Formats: sequence, structure tokens, C-alpha cells
Amino acid sequence: MQIILTNAVQAAAAPLTEPLSVEDATIWQHMSNALHASMDRVLSLLIAILPGILAFVVALAISTLIGVAVSALMRRVLTAAKFDDRIARTRGSADWTPATAPTSLAARACFWGCVVLGLVVGVSAFDTSFATASPLPISLLPYLAHAVGAAFLLIAGNIIARFLARSVLIGAVNAQLQYARFLSLGVKWLVLVLTAAMVLDHLQVGGVIVELAFGILFGGIVLTLALAVGLGSRDLVSRSLESHAERASEQSAENAPAGGDPIRHF
Amino acid sequence: MMATANSLPDTGVESVRVGAQLLVVLAPLPQEQVESVLTHVAACLAAGDVVIATADALARESHAGLHFVDLPGAAPSWTVAAASFAMASQLAQENKVRGILMLGPEAGSLGEAGIGALVRGVLEGGVDLAMPRYAISPHAGLINSGILYPLTRALFASRVRFPLAIDLGLSARMAERMAAAARPLIQRNQQDALLWPVSEAAVAGYRIEEFDVGPRVLPVPPDPDLNTILPLLAGSLFTDIEARAAFWQRPRALPPARFHAEAQATSEDHTDIAAMLQSFRFAYAHLQEIWSLVLPPNALLGLKRLSLMDEASFRMPESLWARIVYDFLLAYRLRTIHRGHLMGALIPLYLAWVASHINVTREEMMPEQHVEMAAAAFEAEKPYLVARWRWPDRFNP
Repeated sequence: MQIILTNAVQAAAAPLTEPLSVEDATIWQHMSNALHASMDRVLSLLIAILPGILAFVVALAISTLIGVAVSALMRRVLTAAKFDDRIARTRGSADWTPATAPTSLAARACFWGCVVLGLVVGVSAFDTSFATASPLPISLLPYLAHAVGAAFLLIAGNIIARFLARSVLIGAVNAQLQYARFLSLGVKWLVLVLTAAMVLDHLQVGGVIVELAFGILFGGIVLTLALAVGLGSRDLVSRSLESHAERASEQSAENAPAGGDPIRHF
Repeated sequence: MMATANSLPDTGVESVRVGAQLLVVLAPLPQEQVESVLTHVAACLAAGDVVIATADALARESHAGLHFVDLPGAAPSWTVAAASFAMASQLAQENKVRGILMLGPEAGSLGEAGIGALVRGVLEGGVDLAMPRYAISPHAGLINSGILYPLTRALFASRVRFPLAIDLGLSARMAERMAAAARPLIQRNQQDALLWPVSEAAVAGYRIEEFDVGPRVLPVPPDPDLNTILPLLAGSLFTDIEARAAFWQRPRALPPARFHAEAQATSEDHTDIAAMLQSFRFAYAHLQEIWSLVLPPNALLGLKRLSLMDEASFRMPESLWARIVYDFLLAYRLRTIHRGHLMGALIPLYLAWVASHINVTREEMMPEQHVEMAAAAFEAEKPYLVARWRWPDRFNP
């Protein structure tokens, strides 16, 4: 590597017609040394973490294979032992969907347990090889852990946002609020914005800027909604509330116009 | 374990009376209704053959000839809940009675003939479950007419018109069976959970009979809002159906229909269905995304056609309604979406059926006739339910 770099430096210096001074030669030498040291560090890093990555992959692959085997064994044993029937007797029902049969659940739990175990072993091996390799300044592992946490946050936030959006939509539609979809979307995006801010904060990306931006955005959305209700959508809201009140009064009379029986759902 | 201890109260050994025929379990009633019920019961049976279980102390003084036992902890309930069944069975065993008559709130509105029919059914007719058939307004009990009755009839082969009746006659063994079904719920601190006596009796192979009891004032649930009551009732029935899938998937013959005096439609029915249609159309515009997770394209097409109909010609085909209920039942079982959301999404569709029912009964046929048509459609569509229950992932156009 040193030879290559030296040659490269010489080749670069060759077109120069004037002889190099002592100072110039020293500069090139320093540059060469710096590049050399840098490549040395990167290669050392790769050499240091490569066994860890390999250990991680191997641990995950082996644990997955073990999981498949254990799952198949569990499924066979539980089927032979009529596990589903036994559970059904205690539960009082023998009806399972293919995805919720106890045998299937137990087998899946075994498989994913093995996979998670393999993940833990792999990460531990990676951690060990990384820690003992060299005192390099790159903090890759903690960042990886943060990334996993952030991914969980993102998934959870999405699930919660969808759940709340549906709850609001159905509740608002059954209450016949004219702005049902708007409310549902508002709730969904509020939760998503909150989730995004939490994810970025967890990843330590942006620092104070994210907090500030989130505060401005969240506060802005709430303020916009308040202004919309208070000023811009005053007519819309009053119309909606009036129609809601009319419906309530109609329902309180239980659809009992002259000559009609009142409607009772139960 | 402490929290799951059986919360049934000790009824006291001193109240035990051997040799009585019938135990009458009274829900908390106003004094005048208690008087009315006791008078009707005394007219059916000799005083020595009846044990009255009530929490009302005043009744004892006015009817000294009757034998009373305490009904401790009888919390007011608008229907017969799990705890009531367990308590009734316990009292029946202690008093060694042959039959039990459970009377719910507003039972004072029941006539002597109606109470007598239930009593005779249990004590003389050899019936395990005597269910009342109320003569109520055609526009009352619509959840029962549109969902509970058709589903129970199609799946459990029972013609009982009110599967969740508020008054019941039970044999001793039926009471014990209901108590056994109630115990796990009570241990889970769900004393107010609903039980479905018709399906319980059908699965046990017990004899079920229905008796005309005449008009009755129906109690009002604590929260009569449709958004509460429909998910409660339909969700409870769906859970019961899910638990008994092994039973109802086999074909069973329906007992022959009996003649019942039909509730007459009001001569000039001006019931306004505009609000219900507006609710349905509004939901059609907003809930398609959720309905499409539950309903197949064919049903969605049917709903699209419905949404375009005007008020006067609004008719929901019975087969479409049956399939919609079955699809929601399947989604409930498969947890396609959160069950609370599912029940909420069913409400506008139910309102569409109610609007259609009112239109049909206003112009074309008697209310009971239309309810029977809906129930027959549920029976006809049962193979669809069974097929999708067994193979939920199969292509369904």
C-alpha cells in the first residue's frame, strides 16, 4: 500500500519541471503518511468488525434453522398429544381459525423465540468483537441500538395513529359530524408528527432543531384548528352543531311523529 | 385468586324450604309491580308450591301466605345477566324446586295468562326452557328482529322470537347449566355479561318452547344509545356463536312454525326514515375504506345501489342484509379489524335495514312477515357463512 502511494505521489510530482524543494517533499510525505494512516484505520476497522458481522449472520442463520426444527417438532408433538382438543375442552370451544389454533401459536412462538435468541447472541458477538477490536472513535453499535428502538417507535406510532384515526372516523360518522374525515385525518397526522419527532429525537438527529420544529408544528396545528373552529369554520361548526342538536331532539322523540310508533331498537 | 372468588352471596340455610314446586326470582321492581306479579303467581300455584326470591322486604308483609327467600345483592339490571342465573340456580338447589321462573324489570306489565303459561310450561309441559313471546309494537325490539332472532333461528334451529328475553322459565337442570355457563364469567368479574339461553339449551339438546305472554313493557337499558346497545348485544351474540361453531355448522331441521297473533302495523305509519337514510348515506361516503376490509365486492356493490335509492323506494334485499351480518360475524371471529370498530361500522348498515323494514312494512307486508322473510334469508345464506367460516382465505367475490 505504501509503495502504491509513494508511486502515486511520484507520478503526480513527475510533470513538474522544477525540482521539488525540501519543504514540498515534506508536504507530500506528510500527505502520504496521512492517507496511509487513514486507510490503515479504515482497513483495521473493517477487519475488526468483519468477524462480528459474520458472527451475527451465522448466529442468526443457525438460530433460524434451529427455530424451524423446534417449531416443526413442537407442531408434531402437540398434534400427536391433541393439544388443541385439550385446550378446547377447558375453554369450552373447539373452533380455531388456522392462525389462532393453540398448536400453531405454540409452534410460532418457539420459532420466533429461537430467532430472537439468535439475534441476541449475534448482537452480543458483534458487540464483543467490536469492543475488543480497537479503540476506534466510530460509535456504530449504540447508533444501531437506537435505530432498532426508533424502528419500534415508528411501527407503534403508525399502529396507534391508524387505530385512533379509525376510532375517530367511526365515532364521528355515527354522530354524523360533517367534518368526520377531517377530524380523523387531523388525529392521524398529529400522532404521526408526534411519532416522527420522537423517532428523530431517539436517533439523536437534529437535536434541538427537531424539538423546536415539532413544538412549532404541533402548536401550529392546534392553533390552526382552534382558529378554524373559532373563526373560519364558524358557520360550518354552527351548522353541524345545529343539525346535531336537531337530530338529538328528533331521537329523543324517538321518531314518533303523529300516527307513527316510536322506534325502539331493543 | 382472591379476585376471582365466587361472589355469590350466602342465601342462608334457614330460608330453605323442601317440597316447593317453583322458585320465582324477581328483579327489583316497584312495589305495585311486585304486588301484581305475586297476585298472578298465586293464581297459578298453591301458596305452598311457590318460593319467591326477592330483595323487596315489603312484599313479605303483604303476602304472608307465600314463602320468601332473600335475593341478596340483586343489582338492578335491564336484562337477565350471568349473576342472576348463578343465583337462581343456587337458590333452586337449596329449595329443591322443580322449576324456576325468572322475571325481569317491568315484569308487572305481564298478564296472569302470560305468567301462567310460562309456569305451566316448566312444571307441567316438561319444558327445559320456556321462552316468552311478547306482543310488542312492530317498531320495538328492532335489533332483535334484524339480528338476534334471524341469527339464532338460522344457526341454532330455534324459532324463539326473543332469544334474549327478559323473563324465562327454566327447569332445574337448565338452571344448573346456565349457572355453569355463568360461573366462569363471574370469576372473571363479569357479572353483568349476557348469556344466551336458547343456544345453551340447543347445544345441550334440551327442550325449548315458546309461549305467548301478551303485551309487556320493555325495560330501558341504562344507556339506550344505539352506539352502545348494538355493539353490546350483537357483540355478545357473535361471541356466543363463535364459541359454539362446532354445533351450528351441522345442518339441523327447524321445528315447524306455530301460529302466533301478529302485531299489527299502524294503519298510517308516518315514521320518518330520513334520518336513518342520511346516516347510512353519510357512512357510505366515509366508511367505505373500513367496510371494504369486511365486506366482499358484491356486498359493496349492493350498498352502492342502496345509497343511490330515494327514500320512498329504499329497500334492502334480505339476502344482502343476511350476508352483511354474516360477513361482520366472520370479521368478528377473524379480528379483521378491532372489534369495537367493527361493531361501530355495523351501526349505519343496521339503520339502513331498519329504514328498509319500515318502508316494506308500511306498504307491502306485515311486520312479522318481513321479519320472517329476513330470518328465512339468513337460513338460506347459512352455507355461505359455513363455507367462509371453514375456509376464510378462499376467494370471495
